[in-house]
Amino acid sequence: MKSKLIIAIAAMGVAVLFSSCAKVPQTEIDAATAAVQGVKDSGADLYVPEAYSALVDSMKSANEKVEVAKAKWFPNYSKAKNLLAVVNQMAVDTKSKAEARKVELKAEVTTMIGEVKALNEGNKALVAKAPRGKEGKAALEAISSDITVAETTVTEVEALLANGDLLGSNDKIKAAKEKATAIQAELNDAIAKKGAAAPVAKKAVKK
Amino acid sequence: MGLNKKSGIKWLIIVLFSVFIVTMTISVIIVSQKILPTEDLRLAREALTIAKEAEANIYSEQDYKESIRLYDSAMLNWKRENDRFILFRDYSRIVANAKSSKKKAEEASDEAIKKSANLNLNVEAAFVVLAKKIELYNKLFKDLPLPKSVFDAHNKSKMFLSESKIAHESGKLKDAEILFKKAEVYVNHANVAAGKMLRDYFVDHPNWLHLANDAIAASRGGNKVILVDKVAHILYVYQSGKAIRSYSAEFGPNWMAHKERTGDRATPEGNYHIASKKAGGSTTYHKAMLLDYPNAEDRIRFEAKKRKGLISRNAGIGNLIEIHGNGGKGFDWTIGCIGLKDRDIDDLYQLVGSGTRVTIVGSIESLSVVSEGVDF
Repeated sequence: MKSKLIIAIAAMGVAVLFSSCAKVPQTEIDAATAAVQGVKDSGADLYVPEAYSALVDSMKSANEKVEVAKAKWFPNYSKAKNLLAVVNQMAVDTKSKAEARKVELKAEVTTMIGEVKALNEGNKALVAKAPRGKEGKAALEAISSDITVAETTVTEVEALLANGDLLGSNDKIKAAKEKATAIQAELNDAIAKKGAAAPVAKKAVKK
Repeated sequence: MGLNKKSGIKWLIIVLFSVFIVTMTISVIIVSQKILPTEDLRLAREALTIAKEAEANIYSEQDYKESIRLYDSAMLNWKRENDRFILFRDYSRIVANAKSSKKKAEEASDEAIKKSANLNLNVEAAFVVLAKKIELYNKLFKDLPLPKSVFDAHNKSKMFLSESKIAHESGKLKDAEILFKKAEVYVNHANVAAGKMLRDYFVDHPNWLHLANDAIAASRGGNKVILVDKVAHILYVYQSGKAIRSYSAEFGPNWMAHKERTGDRATPEGNYHIASKKAGGSTTYHKAMLLDYPNAEDRIRFEAKKRKGLISRNAGIGNLIEIHGNGGKGFDWTIGCIGLKDRDIDDLYQLVGSGTRVTIVGSIESLSVVSEGVDF
């Protein structure tokens, strides 16, 4: 009886030895993987690339920790689980940073679109104010072409913005603003040069 | 018998337990001898992060992708190996993949750094070249009566250059390169078209030179002669073979053409004379000197073109070409006259009288001098 008991205890010991391995935290891994993918889908790799890069690195590190634990006789996934929890939190933070940056960029672009539109309208008014007829018409034609280029760019920026390309639209609208500002300066300069002495034809001339 | 059986079982247990202990000990020794790929994978991962920071995904795309593939492959193999019985696990392939991934990532980083540095230099150099081309346009072509398509192209090139510079400042070199190339296409189009126009115009240079030399020669007797250089936008007064005055001059928007008919806004080229002088209420342009355009040559040319149908039957040859004031606007604004600043017309008005010869040429200098040797 005693021997049977010893055998049973030994068998249980062996069984416990081999069955004591903890289970891979697959649920946590899947959740973290999905969270990282969600962050990527939010455009974080474009809008907050450094934060996104750190997140991806942490996810890889967590996966490595899982395998390190799995490689042991007696796996202990607590470190991996902790890191996966950190990854989840990082994912939430990175996504919110990306969203905030997008909102910020959209506001910047929208504001600049308004500014450039106003500059373009102002420039058109300056062109209209300039004496017509022979006086400067040809010179202003080139400037009007420049205004058209700036207006076309604004239209392109609006299309980019509608497609969610905030970075592309931001760069483009900055260039359009530069151009519109330069046109404004050029027009003011031309008008100043023209001065108050612009002659008024007293009679029609044939030349 | 019973005692023997008990003793046998006891020994069996001892033997089995000993075998188990020995097996376990050997297993632990074997497992402990196996090197986990942890460190190699960590190094590979760090190398990948550095490569990403160096934008290897952009500048060394293939190597970077390969390094990622090797890392992923190492991780997949590690998972597979870990699913096997502990004694049968083999990490050698994982270690090899991790090492290869690290090596590729480092190569990708190095290549990316070199390529981005080169691209940065190329883009910066290209900005300089493009800026020179835009400067060339502004210097040589801006005031030419160019078709809309030409100055549209020039304006677009400036826009793309601005966008390219903004992309460059943001570190987006590839975008900067793409935008710069677009700018280059437009600026080249504008400069080639404008350059052709200028070259075509200078075909008449030998004739202009002849006219200019003749005018200067005519001043050698002490007479004052006015010589107008349209390209230089300068009106000279010559006396005794020397330029005694020079004034900035402005013309009509279509100045780069010889006047042929009413309303073409061109300034004539050839030999003319001051027909009359106007001041006070007789001119709206401060002071003016009427030229005797059209001359006999102009009339012959006009009639010949009319006969050929090159000029409308109803068109007139035009008249009332003057040298007058109200100039200094900085662009060509007249209907074909020669506009001077008021203080310059005051001076000229005092200096020359009716009958003074006025020779108007496209350019005294040759095209290579005008373009300062710049190739366009």
